[in-house]
Amino acid sequence: MTQESLALGSAVAVPEAAPRARAHAITEPRLVRYVLIAVAMGYLALFLVLPLVAVFSQALQRGLGVYFAAITDPIALAAIQLTLLTAAISVPLNVVFGVAAAWAITKFNFVGKSVLSTLIDLPFSVSPVISGLIFVVLFGAQGWLGPFLGEQGIRIIFAVPGIVLATTFVTFPFVARELIPLMQSQGHEEEEAAVVLGANGWQTFFRVTLPSIKWGLMYGIILCNARAMGEFGAVSVVSGRIRGETNTMPLQVEILYNEYQFAAAFAVASLLTLLALVTLVVKSVIEWQTQRAS
Amino acid sequence: MKIEARNLTKTYGTFTALRDVSLEVADGSLVALLGPSGCGKTTLLRIIAGLDVADTGSILFGDRDVSDSKVKDRQVGFVFQHYALFRHMTIFENVAFGLRVRPRHLRPSESEIRAKVNELLELIQVDWLAKRYPSQLSGGQRQRVALARALAVEPQVLLLDEPFGALDAKVRADLRRWLRQLHDELRLTAVLVTHDQEEALEVADRILVMNEGHVEQVGTPEDVYDNPATPFVYNFLGRVNLFHSRVHDGRAFIGETQLDGSEHRDGKVVGYARPHDIDLDHIEVDDHTTMSAIVARIQNIGPVVRFDLKRTDTGETLEAEMSKERHQQLGFQVGERVAVKPHNLRLFPGD
Repeated sequence: MTQESLALGSAVAVPEAAPRARAHAITEPRLVRYVLIAVAMGYLALFLVLPLVAVFSQALQRGLGVYFAAITDPIALAAIQLTLLTAAISVPLNVVFGVAAAWAITKFNFVGKSVLSTLIDLPFSVSPVISGLIFVVLFGAQGWLGPFLGEQGIRIIFAVPGIVLATTFVTFPFVARELIPLMQSQGHEEEEAAVVLGANGWQTFFRVTLPSIKWGLMYGIILCNARAMGEFGAVSVVSGRIRGETNTMPLQVEILYNEYQFAAAFAVASLLTLLALVTLVVKSVIEWQTQRAS
Repeated sequence: MKIEARNLTKTYGTFTALRDVSLEVADGSLVALLGPSGCGKTTLLRIIAGLDVADTGSILFGDRDVSDSKVKDRQVGFVFQHYALFRHMTIFENVAFGLRVRPRHLRPSESEIRAKVNELLELIQVDWLAKRYPSQLSGGQRQRVALARALAVEPQVLLLDEPFGALDAKVRADLRRWLRQLHDELRLTAVLVTHDQEEALEVADRILVMNEGHVEQVGTPEDVYDNPATPFVYNFLGRVNLFHSRVHDGRAFIGETQLDGSEHRDGKVVGYARPHDIDLDHIEVDDHTTMSAIVARIQNIGPVVRFDLKRTDTGETLEAEMSKERHQQLGFQVGERVAVKPHNLRLFPGD
């Protein structure tokens, strides 16, 4: 400190003004902020944290031994396998469909464009039970195509194909709905530039469009996957609940619970919950990456 | 490569963007399509590029009819108004893109691509930015990269859609000059779309003035500025003063200036004069035949002085411009009544 500032400091002792309650024109006063955060946290705690804690505590209630026995039980393993298989088929199918639909809707004008747009949202507005029922009507023993296919030796309902179909239908919209607004906001100037420079359709898509939408696409895949693994309503209608064959994890949880095998039920449920948590983490990472990229 | 467009028409639903438009661009020349928003100039450019297709008419490159050719077969370079750089690629990759997507048998080797791209980046003076991403560049730098990217594939024709529209005035002026120099060096046939008449006058070999989907006038910058064919062209190319008059016996009087109105029929005409062609003087002898006006406002705008005047006979407003020196010489004041002498008038029929 120089002589001058020392002199100034001793001559003028101004108390520092208290920081203002409102830092910015549209910031709420502190009290309002705290109340809003408390409400949000409370809501989260009640509807999210509490159930999560309950699932895990119930699952581990009878000890780790029972827990591992429950999730390595052959029937539980079959359910896990079926869930994974269903997701492995329906998610890629919906990615292909979602990307194609988003591309068509955002890049072209064609007759029926708004119809397609509306149809994509259909599985969201229809109850999952109805979604399952659709396939029973189509492929069931008394359905339109059921008897014909039955003669060929193909069983859809009460078999794995039905489960995959129902799951694919229910998770239809996720990828498309994620991509459409993203691609619309990005416009197609970059694609036009690529085409003028001599790129063909595939090159334009893989080199220009895909890298621009990759985080949105990832997010859509995560959502699609989460729903595919966790779907209950539609799958329970078409499944038939044949233990070891047509039970997915959500269905298995219900069966175990109805048989009063609570610890086992919660054990399988905890696996689904872990999946939900992993999904959340991956989603956060993606959001963080998107923010960094923009 | 010469470009020719014949009788192009394009409608979007009920809106006619182009009405029977034809144009010719001589090999190696730079032609500007000049006009207000919505006049069809960008539509015309995009049709030449192949990004849009005309309803009727044809496009020829040299002797080849390319009307049905796909965009990538036309070998044009296109520079977009908002650059359209690939946001997730480095500058180097952006410029290399056109070479990388070539079919295998036409694709140059990696080292050739590298050489070519570096050469171009040096030419446009952004070689030091090669590893950066578009978002890290300024607007002017981005536009130069967009140009380099278009030139990388050695196009026969260069098309620019309001390339400097999104930049601020100083950068725009610099890039304009730079583009003209580059064009003189490369001698590439180029078509430039702009709504800025100063840009067109400065950069182009020939200007096509467009309005509402048709061509008002084609000519060199001097032609279009000094001899505008229609009131629209006159108005668009600069500021305008209107003098209403009548033609009688092949003559028209505006103030005490007599004009040759022989090419017009007897009847109403309007004389158009530029602000710098309006001479002002102090009134020595008030003989009531000289046109006079009251000085309403005097503005110093850089090297010129602009006068807002109100005519004493008709009450109409006029705008005059003179150099700073002349104003200092004569010393006009607000509220003063001055003599107005317009010259270099151009007559157009009508109101």
